[in-house]
Amino acid sequence: MKMLKTATVAAALMGSAALANPYADYEGTTLIVNFPAHPHYDAVMQILPQFTEETGIEVEVDQLPYLAMRERQTLELAQDEGDYDLIAYVVFSKADYVYADQLENLAKYFMNPALADPSYDAGDLIDGYVYNIGFAGGDRGYLSGKTGSLFGLPYGSETSVLGYRKDIFEKHGLEVPETYEEMLALACQIPELEPGMGGLASRAASGHHAAHAFLLHLNPLGGGIFDDSWQPIMNSAEGVAAAEALKQIVDCGPEGASTFGFGEALGAFLNGDTAMYLDTTVVAGQINDPSRSQVVDKVGWALHPMGTERASQTGGFGIGIPANAENKEAAFLLMQWLTSKAGDKAVALAGGNPSRFSTHSDADVNAAFPHMATFGEALQYADPDWRPIIPTWGKVNADLGTTLSQVLTEGLDIQEALDGVAERARATMEEAGYYTWQ
Amino acid sequence: MNRHFANRMTPYLFMAPAAFIMAIALIYPLGYMMYGSLLDWNPSQSISEAEYVGLKNYVTLFYDPFFRKSFSVTLTFAFFVVVFEMAIGVGLALLLDRNIRGMSVLRTLFILPMMIAPVVVGLMWRYMYHPTVGIFNRTLDNLGLEKVDWLGQHALMSVIIADIWQWTPFIFILSLAALQSLPQSAIEAARIDGATGWQQIWFIKLPMMMPILIVTALLRLIDAFKVLEVILVMTEGGPGQSTEILAMRISRTASEFRELGVAAAMSNYLLLMLMILTLSMFAFTRLQERRSARLAAAIQEDE
Repeated sequence: MKMLKTATVAAALMGSAALANPYADYEGTTLIVNFPAHPHYDAVMQILPQFTEETGIEVEVDQLPYLAMRERQTLELAQDEGDYDLIAYVVFSKADYVYADQLENLAKYFMNPALADPSYDAGDLIDGYVYNIGFAGGDRGYLSGKTGSLFGLPYGSETSVLGYRKDIFEKHGLEVPETYEEMLALACQIPELEPGMGGLASRAASGHHAAHAFLLHLNPLGGGIFDDSWQPIMNSAEGVAAAEALKQIVDCGPEGASTFGFGEALGAFLNGDTAMYLDTTVVAGQINDPSRSQVVDKVGWALHPMGTERASQTGGFGIGIPANAENKEAAFLLMQWLTSKAGDKAVALAGGNPSRFSTHSDADVNAAFPHMATFGEALQYADPDWRPIIPTWGKVNADLGTTLSQVLTEGLDIQEALDGVAERARATMEEAGYYTWQ
Repeated sequence: MNRHFANRMTPYLFMAPAAFIMAIALIYPLGYMMYGSLLDWNPSQSISEAEYVGLKNYVTLFYDPFFRKSFSVTLTFAFFVVVFEMAIGVGLALLLDRNIRGMSVLRTLFILPMMIAPVVVGLMWRYMYHPTVGIFNRTLDNLGLEKVDWLGQHALMSVIIADIWQWTPFIFILSLAALQSLPQSAIEAARIDGATGWQQIWFIKLPMMMPILIVTALLRLIDAFKVLEVILVMTEGGPGQSTEILAMRISRTASEFRELGVAAAMSNYLLLMLMILTLSMFAFTRLQERRSARLAAAIQEDE
């Protein structure tokens, strides 16, 4: 620390361009980056001019809808020479890209004294996000651990929180739920207290919507998708409890809840059709936007309720450097600038999702977005193992989502349905070689 | 000899550019897909890195309950869609095949749905089916009737209704064209012989329109097997797998499950089925031609 201070003072005294401007060598470089069309990255667009001004590095952004982005990246990354210098990737792409050797290992950049900013403070980055989105090669292949290393940095990541209608809770003297039991009881009590209103808005549509909603409840209730030897355990008693919770929420939810996707669930809450909303933090910006929301200033935020433990979602996006990028070092500088303390604060103030603990407790950020402190607290419980990030997950996830949708709409027996998913998941894992050593 | 050879080769020479373009534009992608279907192929790999697995993808699919369910959803969807569209489209054509004032405006109005982009159609119907704010449920509510869970309990039916709305005009304009090209003499003769309106339709118009109607129905059937956008926007294949038609399953297999080989094999199954349909369409037209040639010959002999 003392050395750092001395260096800073020396640099200030000398006023030398070489020392003061690590970006000098890259001035005039144009970086081509690929970002998704997403509220966080809309905020990023606002701070990029500041980066160019400070560094002289130009940034050209190719912003695509996120599914299209993934397809485009799959094609781009397989080329010998890619178009992109920096990409934002959705969390489950980590498994595919790292496995196919398409993302740069960041060690060599953080080791390079000409590139790595000593005041970066990586310890301030949110642990759950870093291990979930940026790390690979550790425990279970996709988590932190002694054998792992860093391939990306979380940027535009999200966790889950509970939004609730302060006015409705006050009117009926209700307590904000702390535990799953309380939340589930409230979910069905609210439609009785407020006729026409649903308890909790949840996604439930067939496919990844239903699977996502199930996962939200699975870990807090003590369940998981696989055990340590990759045997499926989503059909355990905890898994059944999570599916039952989902069913209860949907049954006591607004009309038509069983077919709600992300947009409809959020729409129902913004419309005032439900009293609670349990999902990603990314929606916070829209709640108080009068052009979209009818519940402006009526929403309070609380931690994702606790089951047998606290375990909120980890997901969203990270940024990484493609192995076939042309300007890797300049891309690293952009990546470092964006996720630095100053960059993270700037993007938070522009309406993005911060990746650092310090930004969540920052006074300016909290003055602009009072919910940020609660979100910061929620992040301490963000579970990096919220879902398995392995190449076969896409298939297991789709099966889970389709089957759960049948549970919600066709009245399929929960245990039987999850047993089916487990059996098929085992076959998928077997084929992919996960039982080779057993 | 040389000149003879050159003469014989000339047509081939003229055909060569077209054949070359055909080979590149049609045969190559098709062959690529056939080959791809024999591989265990992840989109992050180039095709040369993918492992060759023979017919495994086809066999796996054959026993895959999700694929079979999707196949049966596709068949159900295509069957109902085509039957209703044919009945309504032909019915409308028969009704509107007359000279009333403003006819051209009416006809244009009828074919409007066909011109709207599928994604817009999907979105429009999705909002109309919305459980609380959708026009259907609000109307039912206003009439004091019970609301219907359109995209939940009756998703397939709702999707079929939307498709009927969009594609009936296609049948309608083709049937109308067929009706208007019918020889008036036969219809006049029937009228003079005292045939009623129904009898004219049933015994004269419909049989004479039949070849065109069959082709129209087959075209529609082939198209119905490939519908994607409207269903994608309306239900994303749900709830459960109840509206997941094959085109959607293929798209999910390629992008969500990242199994390009399996997706290619699935496309080949679809292609196979469409080939059978198309061939039967050709066979039918050939049969019709032969029959009319035979009839014409018989008439000539009589004379």
